[in-house]
Amino acid sequence: MDLILQLLANGISNGSQYALLGIGFGLIFGTTGIVHFAYGPVFAASAYVMWWLIAALGLPFLVAVMLGMAFAAGFGVLSYLVIYEPLVERGSPSFVVLVASLGLFIVIANSLAIVFGTDAKTLPDFSYGIYFLGDVVVTGVQIAQVLVFVAVALTLSAFLKYGTWGSAIRAVTDNVDMARIVGIDTRKVAIVVFAIGSVISAIAAANLLVREGASTHVGFFAVFYAFIAVVVGGVGSIRGAAIGGLLLGLVESTGMWKLPTEWQSTIAFLVLFVVMLWRPTGLLRGN
Amino acid sequence: MDYFYHVLVMFCLYAILATSFNVVIGLAGLFALSHAAFYAIGAYTTAILTTAYGVPVFVAMAIGVVLTAAIGAIAALPALRVGGHYLVVVTLALQVIVIDILRNAQGLTGGPDGISGIPRIVMFGQTLSTPGSFLVLAAVVATAVYFALRLLAVSPFGRALRAMRENELAVQSVGKNVVALKLIAFALSAGTAAIAGSLLAHYIAFVSPQSFSIDETILVLAMIILGGTGNLFGAVVGAFILVLLPEILKFLDLPVGTADLMRNAFYGLMLIVILRFRPEGLFPERYRYTLPAGAQRSAGAFQLSPLTNTENGTVTLAGENLHKNFGGIVAAAGIDIELRAGLVTGLIGPNGAGKTTAFNLLTGFLTPTSGTITLRGRPITDRRPHRIVHSGVARSFQDLKLFRRMTVLENVLVAFPNQLGDHLHNIYFRPGSVAAQERANIARALEILEFVGLRERALEEADGLSYAEEKLLVIARLLATEAEVLLLDEPLSGLDPNTLARVLPIVRRLAAQGRTVCLIEHNLDVIREVCDVAAYLDGGRVLTIGRPDDLMKDPQLLERYIQ
Repeated sequence: MDLILQLLANGISNGSQYALLGIGFGLIFGTTGIVHFAYGPVFAASAYVMWWLIAALGLPFLVAVMLGMAFAAGFGVLSYLVIYEPLVERGSPSFVVLVASLGLFIVIANSLAIVFGTDAKTLPDFSYGIYFLGDVVVTGVQIAQVLVFVAVALTLSAFLKYGTWGSAIRAVTDNVDMARIVGIDTRKVAIVVFAIGSVISAIAAANLLVREGASTHVGFFAVFYAFIAVVVGGVGSIRGAAIGGLLLGLVESTGMWKLPTEWQSTIAFLVLFVVMLWRPTGLLRGN
Repeated sequence: MDYFYHVLVMFCLYAILATSFNVVIGLAGLFALSHAAFYAIGAYTTAILTTAYGVPVFVAMAIGVVLTAAIGAIAALPALRVGGHYLVVVTLALQVIVIDILRNAQGLTGGPDGISGIPRIVMFGQTLSTPGSFLVLAAVVATAVYFALRLLAVSPFGRALRAMRENELAVQSVGKNVVALKLIAFALSAGTAAIAGSLLAHYIAFVSPQSFSIDETILVLAMIILGGTGNLFGAVVGAFILVLLPEILKFLDLPVGTADLMRNAFYGLMLIVILRFRPEGLFPERYRYTLPAGAQRSAGAFQLSPLTNTENGTVTLAGENLHKNFGGIVAAAGIDIELRAGLVTGLIGPNGAGKTTAFNLLTGFLTPTSGTITLRGRPITDRRPHRIVHSGVARSFQDLKLFRRMTVLENVLVAFPNQLGDHLHNIYFRPGSVAAQERANIARALEILEFVGLRERALEEADGLSYAEEKLLVIARLLATEAEVLLLDEPLSGLDPNTLARVLPIVRRLAAQGRTVCLIEHNLDVIREVCDVAAYLDGGRVLTIGRPDDLMKDPQLLERYIQ
């Protein structure tokens, strides 16, 4: 019983990270229809940038995170303006945009490895507490991860509901053509969602940096888990992406109850496979 | 010299991977990212069977190919229901799962260390242990694979794949089974990748997970994009360039780790640049057709094939009490309609009245919530669209749904029923019959195009047609299905008087030759001119049905319609 509770706690913590990555990716995908594979390497790049600001320049953690978020926003918007927009404007099939985003993914991921090397970059002396909830052990990082996710998710929902840009974003997510007809500047909406989505990925990158540090392969798994969270939850639904991410974390974690650790991602992807067969449009969107 | 041969062997293997991947990506338009996984399954199956179970090499290779094809078909299952981006994530997951299994199932796969000591291939008393000797086999296999897949690509089956890529609904509306198309394309592509994998295993006598990472899939994808999506020869050229390029770069003196990273970054950059400036690749997709010399050019050469069981006025297609609800929205609230042979029936009514819904229900594109559909008295309610086309009911779409990046001629050719070349066994075992039928079909397609006035544009891309020409091509494509019941969704709207004057007689002639014709139209003058019967729909039901003149005298209807 204790083991299960412990696994659930781990699952919720990891799931919060996946859900956080998922809502950022899902916001971009759901609104623009672009599978932004470079979301992963942008996430990784901001982790590296934060590490560099802290380790090399000695900036305080929060300042570094702020700068990392700004960096991610700029990077995300630039990838839209330089890579995606010209292709979308030309009316390229979505296949072309997808391959271009894969190309961008490869360029950034490999450039990061060239610049920063392939060893993991960790923060030297970052202390966090260990807490006991009954018999369950959780670290401060795990708790922070859950709190950060909840805060970001609530802020994003409030923004989409009440913010100036929120209703425009929701309109574009619902129906691009209709949004255009009623005079919404879809280009600006795209820029805004690329900025917000990338900022969210940078917040997740700060989590990562504290927990295990930045390394070259984190980008692929970030975008991959985010993508799965979105698809499992239902494209176009922020709540869906959040639920999808949490579910992924829980399944992965509880799978370890009976199976060795190395199989955890395999289990998670098998679950995805089954969900896709059973309900191809995701859990939250029945159409 | 061995080094040089080795590079050529790798070129052969990548040529196999790139051509087979191009079948799924380029021809079928299914964006899968699991090709390296199939490559791996082929390699590991033969490696495990030969080293652990002593299975003879060629038997093990064959088992690997068949097994991989089966797994490929299973991977395609989610793709049957959803397309596009969902397929990407599912195949990506498959790729990750396969690599996880290779890494973690130590007992079976040797884990991260892989499997070594895989036996060499022995042929004609010679052990193929040197690159030079292996090159002969690799080249023969690669050539055979290339020509086999090329034969497929130019066949009616390949044409149907490309049509599916262009428009999945439209390809069903001309009687193709998209489920079968996708499954076969996936299985074939996966099985072919396994051929390359099993060759690799016996060539270097060693397999490990590193050789089959997602980077391999992306490398092969880069070959296709560079060479030309949908062009198999282009894929081979792409493989050649991208296999040779890093070998040339080796002469630059770079540290080993950095060189790999730079090469990968370069592939990514190359993808972006190509897609930006030459998205069709070095060799754009092009499928040439030779038109028969001296094909009849006299107008009116086209005759519909005679129907055996026509008697004008008999009911052919009928829908009874058809209901359709989407959640809370009622799209059809009890549609009753009977279409009769030899008559043109017009459907009129305001937008949202349920006219297109009626078409979708009658042709299987929507399944009715309740109600029955019969064709000559036999129920066809639950049949899928392509089966309904085979039964003799075909429809067109209001938004045309042409196969835009295919020629005008191909748009018509796809639609012919009972093509021998739709089946793989005919393509490979009866190529003569397939070719003979193809020649006959081309001649007939040209007659149809002559009939609608598009003969001159036969070899141009459908994308370049004017709106009126597009509408004519839709009719030509519908005629090619040789269906006895033809449902046309707004075939006349937006046509200029000249084209209208050309289309109206076509519609009348179809009816005169015993076809059952039903069309959706808003222009009452046109209805009066071309229809024998008109049905007025509103609120998801047929309110009145009768002769157009009588219908238009009904002041209540007129008022409802015009306001």
